[in-house]
Amino acid sequence: MNAHDQSTRLLRRVGADTAGFDSPAPTPRLAKLARGLRADPARGAIFIFLVAVTFVMLYPFYFMVKNSFMSSQQYIAGHGFSTASWSQLFSALPVFRELGNSTLIAGSAILIILFCSTTAGFTFAKLAFRGRSVLFLGVIGCMMIPVQSIIIPEYVNLSHFGLINTYTSAILVYGALGTPFATFLMTAYFRGLPDEVIEAALCDGLTYGRTYWRIALPLAKPALVTVIVLQFIQIWDDLLVGLLFLQEPANRTITVGLAALSSGRVVSIPILMAGAIVSALPAIAVYIVFQRYLIAGMTLGINR
Amino acid sequence: MGLAIAATTAGAREGRNRLGRNRARAGVLLLLPAVLVVGGFIAVPIGQAIYYSMTNWNGITAQWVGPGTYLALFKNPIFLRVLENNGLLLLSVPVAIVVPLVIASLINEKVWGWKIFRSLIFLPTAISWVVIGIVAVRVFADPGAIDSILGTVGLGFLQRDFLSQPGTAILAVGLTFVWSMVGTNTIIFLTGMSTIDPAIYEAAAVDAAGRWSIFIRITIPLLKRYFQFSFVLTIITAFTALFSLIFIMTGGGPNYGTTTLEFFIYLEAFSVGNFGTGAMIGVVLLTILLGVSMVQLWLLRGEH
Repeated sequence: MNAHDQSTRLLRRVGADTAGFDSPAPTPRLAKLARGLRADPARGAIFIFLVAVTFVMLYPFYFMVKNSFMSSQQYIAGHGFSTASWSQLFSALPVFRELGNSTLIAGSAILIILFCSTTAGFTFAKLAFRGRSVLFLGVIGCMMIPVQSIIIPEYVNLSHFGLINTYTSAILVYGALGTPFATFLMTAYFRGLPDEVIEAALCDGLTYGRTYWRIALPLAKPALVTVIVLQFIQIWDDLLVGLLFLQEPANRTITVGLAALSSGRVVSIPILMAGAIVSALPAIAVYIVFQRYLIAGMTLGINR
Repeated sequence: MGLAIAATTAGAREGRNRLGRNRARAGVLLLLPAVLVVGGFIAVPIGQAIYYSMTNWNGITAQWVGPGTYLALFKNPIFLRVLENNGLLLLSVPVAIVVPLVIASLINEKVWGWKIFRSLIFLPTAISWVVIGIVAVRVFADPGAIDSILGTVGLGFLQRDFLSQPGTAILAVGLTFVWSMVGTNTIIFLTGMSTIDPAIYEAAAVDAAGRWSIFIRITIPLLKRYFQFSFVLTIITAFTALFSLIFIMTGGGPNYGTTTLEFFIYLEAFSVGNFGTGAMIGVVLLTILLGVSMVQLWLLRGEH
């Protein structure tokens, strides 16, 4: 029996609460109550209202899809159907190159964030030593610093090292920006693990490093997924950092490429819409698959 | 396991000290990645920003001027204009909270398909501000979606290119901002509503309380924390997350009409080349955000 099984079993036995990562408890009684109120004609009105709200929220998708299937002339005329814009998209925007850049940069930055936030989160939650709370406040406090406040010194510093227009600069900046919140999230998660699990591992002769790697990390999968999903969407959708640190067209992420295309002098709206759809699809796919984790991460701050 | 029990008192103390030292060493090592990344790429740059905000800095050379730079900034009419724009955007914060509150409470009535409504309304959260901005430009342009709605309801005389006048341009940015907050805030309120014990509603139903009075007297007070959270989140978003939207929709214009603090940093540093002024506006932005956080902490303290 390896240490992981052991700790999982222990965890189950103590019924550990892992910081609200489970979906909220269903409320069958409330549902029954609501069903009891069905005689209410207001429910029909509510349904229609929600359909209208949903339409407003999905309007951009409708607009993008509808207009991407038009040629430029058809767009001006206001009707018609054509796939011309989709075939022109790939010459107007180096789609695959930019999708690759986005993936590489987001992936590398997320690795940095995961490494820094899990080591720090584990320490803050489970290793008491002097000076810990000062460091905790220091790292978590950086959550409040907006990127715009540091972007100028950051730019100058990285250009001293000749890193502007390299993937490295964007990866490092995204990695640093994501670490404080991820550390906050991992600390909250590891606090939910019972101390007994860690103590048992230490008594079995594991070092702190190995306890982190072999026991704590495998137990933290839901929190890891939450960090990955939140950061992926954040980095994928970001413009400012990419705009400043990746000025070479060949290095651009898809979001920066799309912004550049949009601010270009001659821009075909249907092609732009096709590009917007392509840039949005990966983040939407991640959203659809991991919606639960996204919400868990977003709402974690409430119970601080 | 029985090690500590078997040991003598003195031995136990020594063992504990050694354990403590080990733990401190492990803790420092495990914290190193996070501290280096956050320190090097966030803490150091914010220190630099504060120093350079009091200099005349072009990115290469800097001459010390002193704190007087801040006095000069607050006498700069463009800066005051920018602050005013931030103030105007703050006016939209209550709307960005009340609208999602209404939507959430209607979804919480659990009419047919409510889970689908919830997912679809949250979906735009995944797409980038760049994509949102690209569509929003066409919504507010002339001809655009808003203009055609105005024409249909007989308000044709209001039709215009909303982005070409400062007053209507900031309105367009504000409306887009409200739209984009709907998903997030709705989910926050729904999460809050799911934590309310259904027995409370049952008791209210027994007392024959009306739907409206249940909402005002039970739901709203129980959602206090969630209001606070969404309020702070919405304010922070208004101050720090609209760069890409403004970049795409208006470029800060017309005539600084939609330039907010965060956008002004970018314009000053990277269009004009005043790195010192840019850093200074960054410090002002940070100070405002710290103020918001202080108010939040103070409110939370009052609760205990």
